Amino acid sequence: MMNRILTVVLAGLVGLLALSGVATAAGEGAKQKVVYHINGDDPKQQAGALRNVQNHINAVGKENLDLRIVMHGNGVSMVLLPEALGNVKGFKHANADQQMQARIDGLKNQGVSFKVCANTLKGRNVSRDGDLYMVEEADIVPSGVAELAILQGQGFSYIKP
Amino acid sequence: MRSIDDLELNAFIDGELSTGQQAELLEAMRADPELARQACELRQLKAQLRLAYASPPQPKRRAAARTKASWPAIAAGVALIAFGLVGGWLLRGNLPESGGGTDRFVVLDPEKRGQAPAVSSANETRIVFHLTTPDQDVAGELLDEVESMLAAYRADGRPLRVEVVSQSEGLSLLRESLSRHKERIHQLASEYTNLTFVACRNTMNRLKVEHGIEVKLIPDAEVIDSGVTHVVKRQREGWSYIRV
Repeated sequence: MMNRILTVVLAGLVGLLALSGVATAAGEGAKQKVVYHINGDDPKQQAGALRNVQNHINAVGKENLDLRIVMHGNGVSMVLLPEALGNVKGFKHANADQQMQARIDGLKNQGVSFKVCANTLKGRNVSRDGDLYMVEEADIVPSGVAELAILQGQGFSYIKP
Repeated sequence: MRSIDDLELNAFIDGELSTGQQAELLEAMRADPELARQACELRQLKAQLRLAYASPPQPKRRAAARTKASWPAIAAGVALIAFGLVGGWLLRGNLPESGGGTDRFVVLDPEKRGQAPAVSSANETRIVFHLTTPDQDVAGELLDEVESMLAAYRADGRPLRVEVVSQSEGLSLLRESLSRHKERIHQLASEYTNLTFVACRNTMNRLKVEHGIEVKLIPDAEVIDSGVTHVVKRQREGWSYIRV
């Protein structure tokens, strides 16, 4: 008798576990939320940071990840086209050459979003559609620093490569 | 003195050494500032990793792991759950009425560490900036950003607290003899009481031991024992963290 009750309870429990497993795997809550912060203009370091991101995706799986990259200040050089360096002010580097573009495309295809600080664009005379590599209106955030704070407030882990 | 290798240092940071071994290593660090610095860096890396991976998603090994569970263990688990359900039901009337639901934990966690959100109950945004670079152009940009944030939040009437923690080579921002931004810092700190500049005492001690430098800070700087420990504590308290 006891055994049978136990079996029934167990079956119910296993069912519940399976259900909750499916629910969390499908829901947004299961995703690891991470924001990478880029504000330096060294092209090697930026390439290294994008490699870190790729390794992160490989380790966790793109379907388990909400990963954003926030650029401000000198960090915007990552998406600044080399031919635009003459039009803008305050930048020593424009790193969005073909190689960097390929890296960015590769990560975007895996769901990574690249956010750019509006304060930096305004302050350094950068035109979003003229000087930057594939930055849409939706990729612009009012302040990079504030965005980093807001995302952490929403449970994002912060990583500075 | 024998040399300390990386493995041993890592074991120390991970708390895997015996008391005797720990004492030995602490003694070695006192004698060797470079070793102490390495330990400091390792600990910092570890703290950052721990925060970054606070709750990684579980790998998908559910099926394999479950088949190994033994029946007595499952039965014990079921019994525990049943006990919890029945116990909870019986005790349901005894819990104090509370709106938020976290009030009950006040005794365990009086300062509410570890449960304060980055936007606190008073809707206050709190950000700690961690400055470790000697580059004062970068520090200048940081001050620009901090000022525009402080001004924007004040204009909107939104509460904001900002701390700038200067550590390692970043300490130069707050050193009387090296800072290029003294006046600016003074003007900002006087204008905004919700802005604090903090210097790391470990760094000051290291400069003294290694280079014989007696650090004099600018008047607007406060001193805390360890920059790393401080930024980790702030994150536990729910502050947003930004490495400059």
